[in-house]
Amino acid sequence: MRKSKELKTPFLANWLAGRFIDRVYLEEFFGDLEEIYSDRLQERGKFYASFMYWVDVFHLLFGFSSLNFFKTQNNNLMIRSMFKIAWRSAIRQKQFTILNVLGLTIGIATCLIIGLYVHHEMTYDTFHDKRDRIYRVNQSSIWHDWDDQFASTGPNVAIALKEDAPEFEQITRMLQLGEKTVRKNDKQEVYKETEYYAVEENFFDMFSFAFVQGDPKTALKDPMQMVVTQKTAERYFGFDDPIGKTLEVKHWDGSWRIFTISGVLADLPVKSHLQFDMLVSMKSFHENLDRDDWKWIWTGFSTYGLVKEGTDVQALTEKLQKIPPKWAPPTTERIFNQTYEEFTAGREWKLYLQPLEKIYLSEEPNEHGFGPTGNPQFVKIFSAIGLLVLILSCINFMNLSTARSSNRSKEVGVRKVLGSARQTLVRQFVFESVLFVAVGTIGAFILVYLLLDPFNAIAEKQLELAPYLQDPLFLGITVLFVLGLGLLSGSYPAFYLSSFRPIETLKGKASTGFKGKGIRNTLVICQFTISITLVICTFFVQKQLSYTSSVNLGFSKDNILQIHHIDQLGFDTEAFKNTLAANPAFTHIGKSFGVPPLVWSGDKYKASEPESPVVDLKNLRTEKDYLDLLGVEFIAGRNFDPQHANDKYGVILNEEAVKVLGWGTKENFHTDSPIGKSVIIASGGEQEMEVLGVVKNFNFNSVRETIKPLIIINQHNDWVWDYAIGSSYLSMKLNPKAVRNTSDLQSVIEDVKAEMKRSDPSIPFEYSFMDQEFENSFRAEQRMGTVLNLFTIMAFIIAGLGLFGLAAFSAEQRLKELGIRKVLGAGITQLLVLFSSEFTKLIFIAILLASPIAYFLVDTWLTDFAYRTPIDVWVFVLAAFSAVVIALMTISYQSLKAAYQNPVETLKDE
Amino acid sequence: MKNKGLGEFEELVLLAVCILDGGAYGVSVKREVEKHSGRSILLGAVHITLYRLQDKGLLESELGGNTGKRGDRRKRLFKITDMGMRQLQAAQDVRQRMWQLIPQLNPNMS
Repeated sequence: MRKSKELKTPFLANWLAGRFIDRVYLEEFFGDLEEIYSDRLQERGKFYASFMYWVDVFHLLFGFSSLNFFKTQNNNLMIRSMFKIAWRSAIRQKQFTILNVLGLTIGIATCLIIGLYVHHEMTYDTFHDKRDRIYRVNQSSIWHDWDDQFASTGPNVAIALKEDAPEFEQITRMLQLGEKTVRKNDKQEVYKETEYYAVEENFFDMFSFAFVQGDPKTALKDPMQMVVTQKTAERYFGFDDPIGKTLEVKHWDGSWRIFTISGVLADLPVKSHLQFDMLVSMKSFHENLDRDDWKWIWTGFSTYGLVKEGTDVQALTEKLQKIPPKWAPPTTERIFNQTYEEFTAGREWKLYLQPLEKIYLSEEPNEHGFGPTGNPQFVKIFSAIGLLVLILSCINFMNLSTARSSNRSKEVGVRKVLGSARQTLVRQFVFESVLFVAVGTIGAFILVYLLLDPFNAIAEKQLELAPYLQDPLFLGITVLFVLGLGLLSGSYPAFYLSSFRPIETLKGKASTGFKGKGIRNTLVICQFTISITLVICTFFVQKQLSYTSSVNLGFSKDNILQIHHIDQLGFDTEAFKNTLAANPAFTHIGKSFGVPPLVWSGDKYKASEPESPVVDLKNLRTEKDYLDLLGVEFIAGRNFDPQHANDKYGVILNEEAVKVLGWGTKENFHTDSPIGKSVIIASGGEQEMEVLGVVKNFNFNSVRETIKPLIIINQHNDWVWDYAIGSSYLSMKLNPKAVRNTSDLQSVIEDVKAEMKRSDPSIPFEYSFMDQEFENSFRAEQRMGTVLNLFTIMAFIIAGLGLFGLAAFSAEQRLKELGIRKVLGAGITQLLVLFSSEFTKLIFIAILLASPIAYFLVDTWLTDFAYRTPIDVWVFVLAAFSAVVIALMTISYQSLKAAYQNPVETLKDE
Repeated sequence: MKNKGLGEFEELVLLAVCILDGGAYGVSVKREVEKHSGRSILLGAVHITLYRLQDKGLLESELGGNTGKRGDRRKRLFKITDMGMRQLQAAQDVRQRMWQLIPQLNPNMS
């Protein structure tokens, strides 16, 4: 019939369509299908074409086979009878039906939610038109571990790329400007803006952010122009037209700079790794950009490049490695007084190209200041759990279907005797099974629809189901899933049962001789292995979380109130501090630039002795009172003393810093004390800073990390240029006697706020508590813990449902056996043990399998933490014990019922 | 005027059939609707709608015309009936009248 043989449309789909669609339509439909298939083959390739072919065929099947069914009377009857029989057998075994559908619904719902989450995480930054050609330029992390990647670069990387890499069509930079105070020109209210960046004029050429007002081409062309998001515009101007209006931004020196709004952006898509409220033109900062000094080490810039079509990115990346050695030397020489070779010291200053769509969800670099980062680990863990739960519930479904159908061998016998063909029987079983899966799936959709809001609240996400329901690809997959699982789980009982010989089934032989116990037992073991593994893992996640919050930090983090933005008060804050110190609610009060766990600034130092190595030390700029407030323990020397003028350039080290500077550990302090030795800044002159004291190591960062070397410098030290702008705090230790309850606390905070307003009303008042900051550093893990708990419970419910169903089935099968045992004198206890042992055996095997798997997983997960909770045996024992108890409880109803049954009832038929 | 029951998608399909003027069959209608509406549509949806419109008497069809691309199979070509044309016109009239009543679009009214 067909002339052109080269088009191979999916054979099975054609067969199906040929079977079920009325012949009248076939010629036309196959013609259309083939035509569209050949188009798609050319456009999108074979896989897509075949896949969509299947989707189309199914759609036609649904559209036209039903027309078919209901038009001819015969088929109509057939379908109705199939429904009727399915309904009757579902009703007759209510328990099974409910268990079966419920298990499936929970499983699919869980998997669907996880699928939505994973899909959401994996499709960030896909809205940009040129997304496949945009790359971010990362570089070696020159401030920390050079082997790591760092998401931002110096400003001149972009200049160098423009010169030396013609493969780029465009290069654009974005500069993070940190927290800013902003006011309208009526100078009334001040607002704090955190998402504030400077970008170049071609920014909107590269990224497709939608404009509501203004021209993307010219919006950031001139100095002092500003583009805001719609949300931000409404915040300042309500519904007035913001274009041409001005906003004033407080500069670091206290002056106000005036920007004119030249464009309004539609609110940014959630799925963007760039999140900002305000963008100002880079040209507004030309005086900083024109200064030579920092061009390669002022790493506040994010550099993006748009490569020309067809560029070999691999080759380009290799080529880029020549750029730092060529361009960076003037900077290192000017700033550090070191040649490029001395600065790199054998390490490679690499440039990396990271594809735009990979930025959000990649392992490296693990942080960038330009918006949210995903956690690839969570995505992997959750994908695995989602799949496992789905597998669990599918196993369950198959298991129960097989078990259930063996009760129907008599029905099969009768139908065969009455002249039913084998094919009809197979169709009936497959139909029922597909029907069950379809009902379960629809139930799952409803469940997800209901649960998505609470889930979003827990996971802090904005997942939506509705858009997917209109996506033909998603619907196609759903239909395929329903048919696939239905066929798979229906086919075994269908073919097995329909092969019975009517004589034997009616005589009652086959009803007890149903095989498949081996398979069912294996499936139960599988299920419990997965659930027990999950339980053990969840347990350790919780254990680790509570462990980290109880780790001894080396100082006391409780009852410490911190006010932010102290640097905006100007440098002399003594007066302000003294007024607060008069408040009886506080026992200590101290100023610092950075507070644990947020001590980020650091520099390169070395010991003053000749030939000492250069080391990276974190620095904390503070004063005597703050160290008193923290209560850190001195193991040698003393704290700063305001009476000593020389202490301005004195420093205090932690043990770790003493070690890396090469001065040994505290055991040798009595012979060779570091006190009185000096440290110098590696990039500066030869000014020696005397070591005044050594403190015991304390966790000045999150306990996720090991304690790094730390140098504590005096707040007035002007040799160290790093003032950690934007992170200066005044901390107050609350007096528990004066502050007894939340209303006391509230009034204390109000007092401080009023005091701050009196000093300078233009500073936004913001406060936090140190213990909360520490807790926040584990927020992601805590969220994961909660979600994990939820899914573990789901998995266990599914496994429990499965076991319950099987026990019920087994009880029914063994009624007569148990009856005979009872007649022959077996006691209730003996019967209970006999019946339960069948299942507890399986659980024990599952425990044996689950323990090593869980151990491996937990061990892998814990390696990321500096402080690990021990992997105790008792957790495994507890998990095993609870699994056994839950399993026994699940089957107890069935086993008691079976054991107490009156043998007369069960044996009277024989 | 009996024009309830002409859904939005049905209207699009009817319009596409008119535009294609004699060359309307499953795939071409699908392309036409996709081109103008910008959304992607499943072939089956087009077929179901075409047959439904035919059942309502708004379309008529005959088999004919093939190309090599279809493996020498004939197409079912659809044509609009007089009743179909009337319905389409009626739907358009209703819209037109309502559009004219929108005050924002007619500043000299009200």
